[in-house]
Amino acid sequence: MRSLIAKYAEKLHRDRSVVPGRVGIAAQDDVMLCEGAPDLSRLAADVLSRLSCLGIVAASPSLPFASYLLRRANADAKSIVPLDTETRTFLHDIPIVRREELGGDPAYAIAALLSNRKGVIAEGVGIVASGPVTLEQAYIHYSSVYHAAFVKYLLDALRDGFVLPGEEEAFREFRETSLQPLSAEGLSFRAGPLDDPEEVLAEIRAVGRYTVERGLVDSFFGNISWRVGGTIFISQTAASLDGLAGCIDPVPMDNRSTTGITASSELLAHRRIYEATGARAILHGHPKFSVAMSMLCEEKDCPVKDCWKDCPNVRMLGDIPVVAGEIGAGGLAVRVPPVIGGPGKAIVYGHGVFSIGRTGFEEAFRSMVDVENRCREEYFRRLDARARRQSKSE
Amino acid sequence: MSLRQYILVVDLASGRMRREEIPPELLRAYLGGRGLGVRLLRDRHTFSPFDPAMPVIFAVGPLCGTPAPTSARLSVVSRSPLTGTVYDCSAGGRFAWRLRAAGLFAIRVEGKSTRPVVLAVTSAGEELLPADGLWGKSVGETVRALSDRGSVAAIGPAGENGVLYSNIMMGEGNAVGRGGLGAVLGAKNPKAVTVDGDRPVPVADRERFDRARADVLRLFRASPVIFGELGISEYGTPALVDLMRQRRMAPTENFRRTVFDGSPAYSGPAIRAAYGAKKEGCFGCPIRCKKRASDGRALPEYETVSHFGALNGIADLHAIVRSNDACNDLGMDTISAAATLSAWGEARGRFPSPEEIGPLLHDIALRRGEGELLAEGSRRVAETLGKPELSMSVKSLELPAYDPRGAYGMALAYATSNRGGCHLRAYPISHEILRKPVASDRFSFSGKARMIKIAEDANAAVDSLVACKFAFFGASLEEYAELLSGVTGEPHTPQGLKEIGERIWLTERSYNARNGFTRADDDLPARFFAEAGSGGEGIDVPPIDRARFVEELTKYYRIRGLRDDGSSPDDGFLERQP
Ligand code: SF4
Repeated sequence: MRSLIAKYAEKLHRDRSVVPGRVGIAAQDDVMLCEGAPDLSRLAADVLSRLSCLGIVAASPSLPFASYLLRRANADAKSIVPLDTETRTFLHDIPIVRREELGGDPAYAIAALLSNRKGVIAEGVGIVASGPVTLEQAYIHYSSVYHAAFVKYLLDALRDGFVLPGEEEAFREFRETSLQPLSAEGLSFRAGPLDDPEEVLAEIRAVGRYTVERGLVDSFFGNISWRVGGTIFISQTAASLDGLAGCIDPVPMDNRSTTGITASSELLAHRRIYEATGARAILHGHPKFSVAMSMLCEEKDCPVKDCWKDCPNVRMLGDIPVVAGEIGAGGLAVRVPPVIGGPGKAIVYGHGVFSIGRTGFEEAFRSMVDVENRCREEYFRRLDARARRQSKSE
Repeated sequence: MSLRQYILVVDLASGRMRREEIPPELLRAYLGGRGLGVRLLRDRHTFSPFDPAMPVIFAVGPLCGTPAPTSARLSVVSRSPLTGTVYDCSAGGRFAWRLRAAGLFAIRVEGKSTRPVVLAVTSAGEELLPADGLWGKSVGETVRALSDRGSVAAIGPAGENGVLYSNIMMGEGNAVGRGGLGAVLGAKNPKAVTVDGDRPVPVADRERFDRARADVLRLFRASPVIFGELGISEYGTPALVDLMRQRRMAPTENFRRTVFDGSPAYSGPAIRAAYGAKKEGCFGCPIRCKKRASDGRALPEYETVSHFGALNGIADLHAIVRSNDACNDLGMDTISAAATLSAWGEARGRFPSPEEIGPLLHDIALRRGEGELLAEGSRRVAETLGKPELSMSVKSLELPAYDPRGAYGMALAYATSNRGGCHLRAYPISHEILRKPVASDRFSFSGKARMIKIAEDANAAVDSLVACKFAFFGASLEEYAELLSGVTGEPHTPQGLKEIGERIWLTERSYNARNGFTRADDDLPARFFAEAGSGGEGIDVPPIDRARFVEELTKYYRIRGLRDDGSSPDDGFLERQP
C-alpha cells in the first residue's frame, strides 16, 4: 500500500496538477496509512476514517482555478456545475465548501460531502477526492475535478472576465510561465504500416506515454488504437495512457469474439472511424483548451437545449470540425467518423480530440498538438479581444 | 412519500392471510429486499430450513415499480437447505413490480398446507387456490396453466422433491436460484405464487428522480460492459466466455484446469449465430441482458454455459442449451447441478457425456437412481463417495464459473460470502476482470480485504434496494442514492447506504454464527492452494499462496471488527439493531 501511495503522489507531481510538496494521501487496509504534507495527510486520514472507502487524496492544485471558481460562485452556492462531458457523466457536480463552513473540524465537513460525491473543492485546502474501490480511483477523481475546474474556469473567465483581486495577474502568470508550449518535436514514432503485434503494442505504449509527458492530456483521459488488418489493438477502459503495458486488447473487427468487452468505451467510434477513413492509428485525448473551445457556440436562438449530445451541426474551428455526441454507445460514434477523414482530426463537444494517422501515429500526434495549440491561440485571441472591449467601454 | 408499506402474511396451515403494515423504522434501517427479509427472519433464523415455521419471504425494494433502471426485482429470503446459512436471492422478470402494484412490499409464507395450493394475489385481495392438478408438473406447464393470473413464481418437480439446489422460477425464465429455496417452499406445499397488481407507485420528487435516472442512463451508455458493442446488452452474460478463456480462469473439468479449448462453441457470438438470440429484459430494464432464442426459449447465462460446458468437458452448444432448458423446467439451479455432476464425474473417473446429462437431470429432480444422491449437492455427494476434497464449494454452495486462482479478490469473496461460494456478494469480477469502476490487480491480495468488505456492504444495500448488480458496471451508489432520494423524498447518500449494507451483512453473519458457522467455514477447497491453473499465453496461474490468503482473511476480520478467529466480540449486536 505504501508503494501505491508513493506512486500516486509521484504521478500527481509529474502531471503538474499539484503544488510541489502539497499532497497528502491516506489509504486504509487493516490499518490507516498516510503520507505527504503533514497537514494534508492528517486531513486525508481524518476524512478517510469517516468513510467506507479505500483511499483519499488531498492536495493543493498547482493552478488556483478551483479556488477562484469557489470564490466566484454565489454566496449560497453549494456546488459548481462544470459542463464538460467528463463531469456530466461521472462527477455530476462538484461540491464546494467555504472556509467558514469547514469549522473547527474540516474533516467532518469534507467527509459529509464526500459521502455523496467523488471530489470536493475546499477553500484554503484545495481538492479532496475519494477512492471507494482503489487508491488509483482517488487519484483519478482528483484529476477529474482538477480537469473540470480548469475547463470551467477558462470558460467563465472568457465570459465574465476577472473579478477577484489578483486574479488577472495570476492568470497572466499561468499564461506566460506555467503553460508549456506543446510540440511533437524530439519524439520518435515508428513509421507504419506496422503488422507485428509486438511492435504495435510497443508503439501504442510509447505514444500513450508521449501524450501525458508532453502535457497534452492527463493520464487516464483518452484512448488509443492501431489497426492491423481486421484487428483493432485498443487501450482498455479506465486505463492510463502513460501506463498501457498489459492494458491493450486485440479486438477482431467482425465481433467474432467478445474479449474486447474490456476495451475502451470508444471502441465503436474507433471501429467506425477505421471503416470510414482507412486510417491505421487513432488517438483520442481531452486537451483542456480544445475541450473548452468546443463548448463555445455563437449560434443565436438555437432550439437545441442539450447541445453536447443533440446538436446536429458540424461547427468549424478553422479547419477542425466540432460535433456533438455522447461517449460510448452515444452519438459520438455516429458523428465523428463522417467528418474526421478529410482534416484527419475532429473535436467532440465538451469532450476532446480525435485524430487519425493514415500510416502511423506521428500524423495523429501532430494533429492533436496542432488542434490544442490552435484552440489555445483562439482562446487567448478571444480573451484579449474581450479585455480590449472592456477597457474601451471603461 | 409515506413509508407505509404492507406485507402479506400467509399461514398455509390455517389458510389465514392478513396484510400488515411494515414498521417504517425497519424500512429505514433495511431498505427492502434482502435486508428486510433477513431482518424478518430474526426470530426464526435457527429453525431448520424445512421446519414449517421457517418463513419464505418475498420482498421488493423501494425503487420497484418506478422507472428506476434495473429495479423491478425482488429478493427471496429464508434459510438454505443446501448450505444451512441464511439465504437470499434476487430475481428479475415481471413478478416484482406486479407484486408492488398489488399494494404489497413483501409476502411472508409460513406453515404447511395439507394439499398443494397456489397463492394468488391481486390488488383486490388474495386467495389460496387448490392445486392438486399442478403438483408434479414442470415449471413451464405450471406457468402456462396460470398465465391468466399475471406473473407466476413456481416450483418444479425439483422443489417438490426437496432437491437441495432447487429454484423458485419466475414465469419469464428468471430464477430464484442457488441455495434451494424451491425446496423450502415446496416443503410447505404451495406450487406457485401469482401476482397481478395494477396500482402505480408514487415518486416523491419527480425532478430529482428524473435527473438521477438520466445520469444512470448516461453511465450505462459510457460503459463498455453494459452497452458496448461486445457488452451484455448485446450478447448477455455469455459475453464473458471469451474473456474468461483469455484470462485463463474458466473452470474446467471440476476446476482441474482453467482453460477449455471447446469454449468458443458457446461464446456470446456463437450463441447468437446458432439461436438468433433476441434481447429481452426484466420489466423496464434498459439493459435487456436476457437472451431468448427465436423459438422463444430462454437462453443460458454465462455461468450455466461454462459449467455445463468447460466444467464437464462438453463443447456441444445444443446439449448445453438443452441442459439449461431441463433445469429451468425442473426448477433446479444450473450452477449447482452442473458442478455436482462434475464433482461426481471426477470422483468416478469420467465426466458425464452430453447424452447422459439430460436423463441425469431428470433423475435428480425426481430423486431416483443416481439422482437420489446427486440431489444433495456436491459436498454431500463427494463425502458419500469418500472424496470430500472433490466438492468445489464453500459452505456447501458450489463455486460458479470464475476460477479463484485467476482473481484473488474473488478467492477472498468466495470464502467470506455469507451464503457460501457465490460470485455476486462482493462481485470483485467487476474491478478485477471488467475494470469497473477501476481496475485492480487480480493476482494481488494487496488491499483486497478492505475492497471486499466495502463491496459486500455496498452490494447488501444494492440487494435491498433491490437493484441489479449489472447496473453497477456503469452507475454507482451515488446515482442510486439519488434515485432513492427522489422516490422517498428523504435524503440518502452512498455512505449511508453502505452503512445499511454493513448492518445487513453483520446480521447475516450473526445468524450464521448462531447456526454454528466459524472461521473454518470461510475457506476454499484445498485444490486451489495445491494445484496450478492452466497458465500460458504469457499468463501464469499458480496455486494461491495459502499463507497470504490466510493473512488477508485475518485482515478482513479485523476490518469487519471481528476477532481473528472470525467470531464477533459483540454478543449483543443483533439485539441492538432496529
Ligand atoms: S440487466 Fe439483465 S438481469 Fe439485470 S435487471 Fe436488466 S435485464 Fe434483468
